[in-house]
Amino acid sequence: MTGIFSQIWAVIIMNIRSLPRRLWMSLAAIFAISVVVAVLLSFLSMVKGFQQTLEGTGSEDVAIVTRSGSRSELNSSMSRDTVNIITTAPGIAKNADGTPIYSAELYVIVDGIKRSSQTEANLPMRGISLDGFALRDQVSIVEGRVFVPGTNEIIVGAGVLREFEGFELGKQIKFGKTSWTVVGVFSTGGSAFESELWADARTIQSQFQRGSSFQTVRIRLSETGNVDGMLKMVEDDPRLILDVETEAGFFAEQGEALNTIITFGWIISIVMSLGALAGALNTMYTSVSSRAAEIATLRAIGFSNISAFFGTLAESIVLSLLGGVLGALVSYSFMDGLSASTMGSNFTQVVFTFELSPELFQNGIMLALLIGVIGGFFPAWRAARLPVAIAFQRGN
Amino acid sequence: MSKFFSFLGKIYRYLWLTITSPIWLPFWCIGWVSDKIGLSNWIADATMGSGAYLIYKNLTRKPLRLFLTVFATFIAFLIYGTITAFQVALDSGVELSADDRLVTVNKINFTQPLPISYVNKVKAVEGVSGVVHMNWFGGYYQDPRQQVLTFAVDQEAMLDVYNEIIVTDEEAANWKKNRQGIIVGKSIADTHGWKVGDRIPLSSNIFSQSDGNSTWEFDVEAVYTGADAQTDTNGVYIHYKYFNETQSFGGDYIGWMGVRTADASLNEQVIKAIDNMFVNSPFETETVPEKAFNKAFIEQIGDIGLILGSVVAAAFFIILVIVGNSMVLSVRERTGEIGVMKTLGFKSMRIFRMVLGESLLVALIGGGLGILASYGVTGMINSVPNPLPTLVLNSDVITTAFTYVAVLGLTTGIIPAISALRLNIITALSRT
Amino acid sequence: MTNETLYDLRAVEKSFVKGKERITVFDQLDMSIKKGDFLAIMGPSGSGKTTLLNLLGGVDQPTGGEVWFDDARVDTLSETQLAQWRANNVGFIFQFYNLMPMLNAARNIELPLLLTNLSKKQRKKSIETALELVGLADRSKHMPSEMSGGQQQRVAIARAIISDPKLLLCDEPTGDLDRKTADEILEMLQLLNREFGKTIVMVTHDPSAAKFAKRTLHLDKGEFVEEDLVS
Repeated sequence: MTGIFSQIWAVIIMNIRSLPRRLWMSLAAIFAISVVVAVLLSFLSMVKGFQQTLEGTGSEDVAIVTRSGSRSELNSSMSRDTVNIITTAPGIAKNADGTPIYSAELYVIVDGIKRSSQTEANLPMRGISLDGFALRDQVSIVEGRVFVPGTNEIIVGAGVLREFEGFELGKQIKFGKTSWTVVGVFSTGGSAFESELWADARTIQSQFQRGSSFQTVRIRLSETGNVDGMLKMVEDDPRLILDVETEAGFFAEQGEALNTIITFGWIISIVMSLGALAGALNTMYTSVSSRAAEIATLRAIGFSNISAFFGTLAESIVLSLLGGVLGALVSYSFMDGLSASTMGSNFTQVVFTFELSPELFQNGIMLALLIGVIGGFFPAWRAARLPVAIAFQRGN
Repeated sequence: MSKFFSFLGKIYRYLWLTITSPIWLPFWCIGWVSDKIGLSNWIADATMGSGAYLIYKNLTRKPLRLFLTVFATFIAFLIYGTITAFQVALDSGVELSADDRLVTVNKINFTQPLPISYVNKVKAVEGVSGVVHMNWFGGYYQDPRQQVLTFAVDQEAMLDVYNEIIVTDEEAANWKKNRQGIIVGKSIADTHGWKVGDRIPLSSNIFSQSDGNSTWEFDVEAVYTGADAQTDTNGVYIHYKYFNETQSFGGDYIGWMGVRTADASLNEQVIKAIDNMFVNSPFETETVPEKAFNKAFIEQIGDIGLILGSVVAAAFFIILVIVGNSMVLSVRERTGEIGVMKTLGFKSMRIFRMVLGESLLVALIGGGLGILASYGVTGMINSVPNPLPTLVLNSDVITTAFTYVAVLGLTTGIIPAISALRLNIITALSRT
Repeated sequence: MTNETLYDLRAVEKSFVKGKERITVFDQLDMSIKKGDFLAIMGPSGSGKTTLLNLLGGVDQPTGGEVWFDDARVDTLSETQLAQWRANNVGFIFQFYNLMPMLNAARNIELPLLLTNLSKKQRKKSIETALELVGLADRSKHMPSEMSGGQQQRVAIARAIISDPKLLLCDEPTGDLDRKTADEILEMLQLLNREFGKTIVMVTHDPSAAKFAKRTLHLDKGEFVEEDLVS
């Protein structure tokens, strides 16, 4: 049986060596496949980047409390009293002095100018107390310092600095009638919080006419993922019309819109793959028919038709892999690390980066391979069944 | 081993023919019938003189190749048609904006409120023919995930300022009279099965009533349609007063104002007049033409136009490469014949035109089918309730599509056509 | 030039550049073909037979000298004019028939008529006549792949004469046929020459084929060395 394998190998090598002779045809197939793979990977990396941002934003150790049905921080609102009540619920982590660890926050929208489009876009400004920093994993001030409570100082997220103009350290910004000063830049390890501006909660309350009310409360849980204590309290107390869930769960819901994009991306890629498949088939059929005499001669010499089959199939797979790798490289060099922002569920901009992980590459190469195998199978079959007599025909 | 192969081969062949029969069978039947009744002959005779018959015969030499190139073209234009319909739908929100309408919002951000006292002041500005104040209700129907675009408005002014909302006079009067009245758009009404006379509950994810309940009940007084096929009919409108009386916070505040000017040329001065009125107050305003406002809103989503455009460009690039290459190959295979045609006396230009005719025909068939299919796809998408705007393939899209068909046909054919044109008879004949 | 001469080559020169060399095929070649002549041209390979045929057919142009056809100069015509001239005056018959594989016999024959202003009806009539002449009236709807070599060549002949050209140029017309079929084809050529006054120039390497012609010219290294006459 070693005979058959070395036959197959010999034919494969011959076919691949002869590729340069059919240069333009082969290039056409390679390009078509590379475009399809590039499109697929671009969509996937966009989704992945968005997902990473949202996932990083949300801890299982922190609960977020919003007004019932509001579904986003912007729409929620609650009074000081409500905050005081809910923070006495069981299941909340405590400070050394026995007080609950929580942060009552506000969430308003202001305008900023996007660098990329030079148009105005919505930016979230969070009213947060210094306690709030402790409720976010991985917060660090990378430039400047924290704002002084009670003043018009703000710190900007690293993402905002990247995507928007005019938020550099020391700059003065006007929202409406009030002037604010940027005193620091913070990072949160790439999560959605980096798309925000943070200022003192009390300042926001006064500047935005909120009195003493807040919008959300973040509470550290004594047991990871367990919000039962608070849920029971809400159920029992008719004054509390609230939704309680872990921060991770809350943000995960917001990412559901991504599903639409994922579906769209896959549909487009598959449809385009059909087009590329037509191209691959065309190339391979032409390759087989232009080498009909060659193949038939090989068979006349004694090579089996199995070797002709695999030889042709191998050629198709090589072409499609080349296309897949090319497409992946193109998409990597353009997309990976590309920073972009788009409207999130709060009508505000979420900054994220495209990310092409090895896992995504796999998807792209798989698609290319699939096209190569299907595109090569039928022509390979035809090559295997070519009548040997063709080798003896005139004109070939 | 090879016996096994040929047996498998037979099975494969018959299986393949059966599976693909929906594709080739109709053609085969038509061909068989027209041969029998002499129709094919008559057609061939009719088209022979112009050379069209030759073009057809050249294309159908390798039916598989023809199918693949037509299919690739079909895919590209299916993508083009569907995506462009989507883009047009997005743009239509901008395009359909009235020229003589402005939007006045809080200068900080449109999510910040304005005092209701501003309304009368704006009404008094010279050049203003109508003002309607509006509030975003944050509505949902039964499940917080089933969002309904709900606006609490001044019911007297609403239909005058936004006159693309079409209801009968009787319905309009009924709605204005009923504090709990609501007019719903056809699209959202179809999605939830609402009809005039229904009593429907809508909840707010922002506001709640003083008893803590966040669900209000409304009577459907009208199902409105849009003045244009693309006008959005997903929105619903309720009385501001009903909403304001019953919700627990917010006071006498409004979200924004829709302002109608007497004429679009007055826009500039009206904008200045309004914003100047409120400068340095705690609630400064920013007034923009409606078109600009809608455009800015879409731009926040990101450069969708760029993304979609790139996808379409990529699709076209693929077929350009595939079909173009196919044409080059097929002409190259016919060098000998082209040489013979030239010896017979066919002028080089004529052969040039014939090759172009082939590539144009492929583009026309594939492109035409693709555009037809995108009618089907957009129709399907439209019939299913979804958050997308109505996808319409208007005449602009169709015209551009066919322009692309022509361009594609010419581009894929130009290189082989030129090489056929320049083909030297001697070289051509010596190759055979 | 007398009324009898159809084709007159005067001091014709043909050379071309191959790589770095200039190769001269013909130098100061004179040749005269009378109307109604049936001329065979024989010679070893490389003698210039094919080049001569190409010159005669307006497929190639000389690099020097003059070519006169029926009192008009051919060597000064443009590419487009030559195409028209070929359509009007010359019919070609090739060794490997060169039929269009995707057209049936009748449509292959019809091709040259597409260059005329004849109506559909007139074209049909001509085709029928041509098919009768070559004895293939019952095979008009057959494809080339369904016909033998001899039948294909007859279709080619029909195609060559359909526009009623004055000159027929044949390049090894029997090269691919068996003895019997070859003779049939050659007899048909004789018929065309005798009964219809077609002037025929036939290039061949087969002496028995040359016997069907009225005279044979031997070409060697671009020069006519011998002439045989058949009475």
